[in-house]
Amino acid sequence: MIGILPILFLVGAVKGGEVCYSRIGCFTDNVPWSGTVERLSAQLPWSPEKINPRFLLYTKANNNNFQEISAVNPSTISASNFRTNRKTRFIIHGFIDKGEESWLSNMCKTMLQVEDVNCICVDWVGGSRTLYSIAANNIRVVGAEVAYFVDILQKNFGYAPANVHVIGHSLGSHAAGEAGKRKRGIGRITGLDPAEPYFQGTPSEVRLDITDGNFVDVIHTDAGPVIPNLGLGMSQVAGHLDFFPNGGEQMPGCSKNALSQIIDLDGIWQGTRDFVACNHLRSYKYYTESILKRDGFAGYPASNYNTFTSGTGFPCASSGCALMGHYADSYTKVTSSSQRFYSNTGDQNNAFSRWRYKVSVQTTGASVQGYFHVSLFGPNGNTRQYQVYKGSISSSNTYSGFIDVEMDPGALNRVKFVWNNNVINPLFPSIGASSITVLDGRNGRSYRFCGSGTVREEVLQTLNPC
Amino acid sequence: MAMAQYQVKIMLLSFTLLLAVGIAQSGLIFNLDTGELCLQSLQCKSGCCHRKDGVSLARCAPLAAETQKCSPWHLYGVYYHCNCEMGLKCNVKHTIVGVVTNTDFGYCKDPNDP
Repeated sequence: MIGILPILFLVGAVKGGEVCYSRIGCFTDNVPWSGTVERLSAQLPWSPEKINPRFLLYTKANNNNFQEISAVNPSTISASNFRTNRKTRFIIHGFIDKGEESWLSNMCKTMLQVEDVNCICVDWVGGSRTLYSIAANNIRVVGAEVAYFVDILQKNFGYAPANVHVIGHSLGSHAAGEAGKRKRGIGRITGLDPAEPYFQGTPSEVRLDITDGNFVDVIHTDAGPVIPNLGLGMSQVAGHLDFFPNGGEQMPGCSKNALSQIIDLDGIWQGTRDFVACNHLRSYKYYTESILKRDGFAGYPASNYNTFTSGTGFPCASSGCALMGHYADSYTKVTSSSQRFYSNTGDQNNAFSRWRYKVSVQTTGASVQGYFHVSLFGPNGNTRQYQVYKGSISSSNTYSGFIDVEMDPGALNRVKFVWNNNVINPLFPSIGASSITVLDGRNGRSYRFCGSGTVREEVLQTLNPC
Repeated sequence: MAMAQYQVKIMLLSFTLLLAVGIAQSGLIFNLDTGELCLQSLQCKSGCCHRKDGVSLARCAPLAAETQKCSPWHLYGVYYHCNCEMGLKCNVKHTIVGVVTNTDFGYCKDPNDP
């Protein structure tokens, strides 16, 4: 009996492992941290010394070179450009990545163009470049360190956690969730495509969820299943506002052939990143672009992408659209449960923003098989031509469709109509648009334009207000 | 023996066919999306193979919208500024130097506009 006691003790130690670190406390590998269907293998997070979370501060005074600050030495904070009279935004990277990767500092620099903030990139490269199952546990330490940092800000500097915004990409969004769970009252948490393996379907204490911050917004860009789509992001809703641009699973511009993807305009390194995880990385690109283009990422409430495509939630309510990205917190109708929003984006870097319109065209003239395009003109310029309808076109029917245009033309003052059928017809049929109604998705404002006569194919017809 | 050769031929033929269809559909050579590398405008869905300058790689790009900078159709099939969208004309004064160096640029204009 005495002989088997140590063995029992050992078994117990393996099953209920625990590590404790100074400042940030203990971590167990009990359920739900492991031993569940989602997390079969028992893993404990590495030590803070090994993961070595670093806090790299960018402000308006130093928007090119970071100052490294630390909550362990609060004097480094008071000696830095950190100011308590402005908001603080933390950015946490994910698996394999590092805090000095250009997308984090780019996001900070873009924010500093429009606002005065303390922007802190959180680097945990020491814990992210390892096996996925280990990195997925190391985020607990990263989250605890961020929570500790916020705690020190509150205790030593009287800085309210409500002024803090934590942005996390992939595994980093779960680190943000961990920070929010440990330090209550963090103003906002943004999850940029939160990682799916080891997190989707787990209890809310393990992953990012709606309770982690006063306001939680999530952008889903790679929500397809891991098997067989290799979707790295969660499809599960996790915030007050959950955005699913392009349906959340397949992003435009991500299905290029390998050569075109890797030899990217932004260099081989950015191209290789996209080759590996294009959809997954889109989330932070949308966020960064949204900082400068406030209304270019309006989300429309719908239960799924198909109903959005057919027009559910369009146009936005009079109180305004939910804006995906940086300005998501301006939404006034936040409830205590998750809301889903859908939108479409562009396919090229720095040109992802889109403005959605509903166009209804009443045609006149001959009956043909073909398609027609419409372009919008306003005080800010004009858009490209967008296809509204394709199929059989017959006289005095109304055809409508949604278009996502690449720029905001402002209050519309005219539209142009052009049709084509790519077939040589010796009869030279001609059709026209007798009236076109354009509905602006942002505010429900409606514009009506009238045209006279008909045009041959590939000839532009201008319609003026009526 | 003859039978086996026949089977091999059929297999090779069907493999080549599959490959050809695959290439055509995946956008490796034709039917290329915006942003994919190209050598010729014919390869692009948009109909414009665009490059920024003489040394940069060419990629498929959308056609120029009204009031945007453009090139008229050119034999080279690669453009510094794309052709115009449907119904628009690239207003440009041709010069011999411009034609040879592929640099006669204009702005897309609606020929029906006053």
